[in-house]
Amino acid sequence: MDKHKDMPPERRAEPDAIERLLRETEAVRSEIREAAASVDWDALSGLIADRAMAADRERRRAGAAPRRAAWLAALRMRPVLAGLAAGLVLGAAVMYFVLRAPGGGAGRDEGYHASGEFLDRAELEMARRNAVDYLEKSQYMLREVFESPDEGPAAPAALRSERARSLLQKKRYLNSQLERFQMAKAKAICDQIEMLFRELAQIDDDLPAAELGRIRDYIEERQLLLKINLVKKELQSGV
Amino acid sequence: MRTIAWTICFALVVGLGAAAARDNPQAATADSLFREAKLLVFDKDWRAALDKIDELTDRFPSSPLAGQALFYKGECLSGLGGREREALRAYKSYIQLEDAKPSLVEESEGAIVDLAFGLFEEGSGSVLPEIMSRLDHPNKVVRYYAAYKLSLVSDKKAAAKAAPVLSRIVETEKDAELLDRARIALLRVSPESLKSAEDRKPRTVTTARVLRIRVREGGKKEPAFSLNIPFALADLALGALDEGDKAALRKKGYDIGKIMSELTKSKGGLLRIAGNDGSIIEIWID
Repeated sequence: MDKHKDMPPERRAEPDAIERLLRETEAVRSEIREAAASVDWDALSGLIADRAMAADRERRRAGAAPRRAAWLAALRMRPVLAGLAAGLVLGAAVMYFVLRAPGGGAGRDEGYHASGEFLDRAELEMARRNAVDYLEKSQYMLREVFESPDEGPAAPAALRSERARSLLQKKRYLNSQLERFQMAKAKAICDQIEMLFRELAQIDDDLPAAELGRIRDYIEERQLLLKINLVKKELQSGV
Repeated sequence: MRTIAWTICFALVVGLGAAAARDNPQAATADSLFREAKLLVFDKDWRAALDKIDELTDRFPSSPLAGQALFYKGECLSGLGGREREALRAYKSYIQLEDAKPSLVEESEGAIVDLAFGLFEEGSGSVLPEIMSRLDHPNKVVRYYAAYKLSLVSDKKAAAKAAPVLSRIVETEKDAELLDRARIALLRVSPESLKSAEDRKPRTVTTARVLRIRVREGGKKEPAFSLNIPFALADLALGALDEGDKAALRKKGYDIGKIMSELTKSKGGLLRIAGNDGSIIEIWID
């Protein structure tokens, strides 16, 4: 059966369908067994045959003589009729159970599902990627604002403020993840940068030279750009 | 006449000078206290920063900086730990200020949600409305964050209430990061809502397609690992596979890039990779 996996997709459809059918049949088999167990098969065939005979007797009363040959034939066919009726009952039971649970397994297969453990791992992976992204964007921003002291900041104050706000929003989502997954080093550096962005987000006008100088000193004293690079490399190596 | 004019000028100069002398030291002092407090907040020296803020508000209660300091007071109280309810009050007072800065208001709203989340998880049920009420907030930044955070609460019934806002993010948001967060949050609280939201989106290469992964251990019929998620999360999902499975894939010469490329090219084909220990990883999209 496994051989069909190596077939080209267009030829695999039929074996796939058969395999799926067998799997689904397997799923309902236990319920059928339970239903079948509740039937007294020895008595059932006799009962069905008796009822068939009773119906025949009625018809015979209406015209006994001409139907004698048919009556004798029915008598000879009694075991066959019983078997046929039992088959019908069994078929109906199978249909009932199949229709009663349309895709208990198939429903799960059609919808989305993922374990909590997997979702935690996915969030950890997301935290790692987003932290790298946040640090990269922060680097651009800090360089742009602070690395051209003589020329003044390249971006207009309003744009700078908007970018800072957007980074603050990203950081808030990151906080939950960095705390949950105990990414302490990344959290510490992200927190320090966050304070700077909070300041930048509030300043709608161009930064006065003195203010700019103060913030630049802060970044240099704490070697923020170097720390960002180191943490970023660490996070990237987890790829 | 000239004497009178000189007298008036002198009085004005002296008066203005006196006023300046009275105002400037106060302004300078309030300003310097505020700056010092912020610098201490930068360095997470919460206790010292809180002392400066208290000094500022005690000595200069009518200074506009006393109002602004409320936000930083909230930061200090949150940072100190054990004083979350006071922090919550500080942030709530800050957002009521007429001259509150929009960026700090947004920050305060987020901080309120975070604090309420922490308190709720510690057993304070009374703070849940702080998160719930923000699901209808006019600012989508606040609304989205409240929904995301609510999806993480351990009370599953409460967490499920985040589903409508999260579904809306999936349907309307363009930002890839926000979309992925909303998808994962929905997979956690209401996978069926995620399916409906994805189905309502216009069908493109990446939407309304399901990535399926099954990992079967050697000789076993039932998969040890089973996953059905939107194809849009495929890259993330493959990156989040168990380390053992990732190692098995690497041994067979597969990395995430190669798998993604083969899946995209095969359009419905099954990628079946057998590990050396008899395990089988099946990955397909439909």
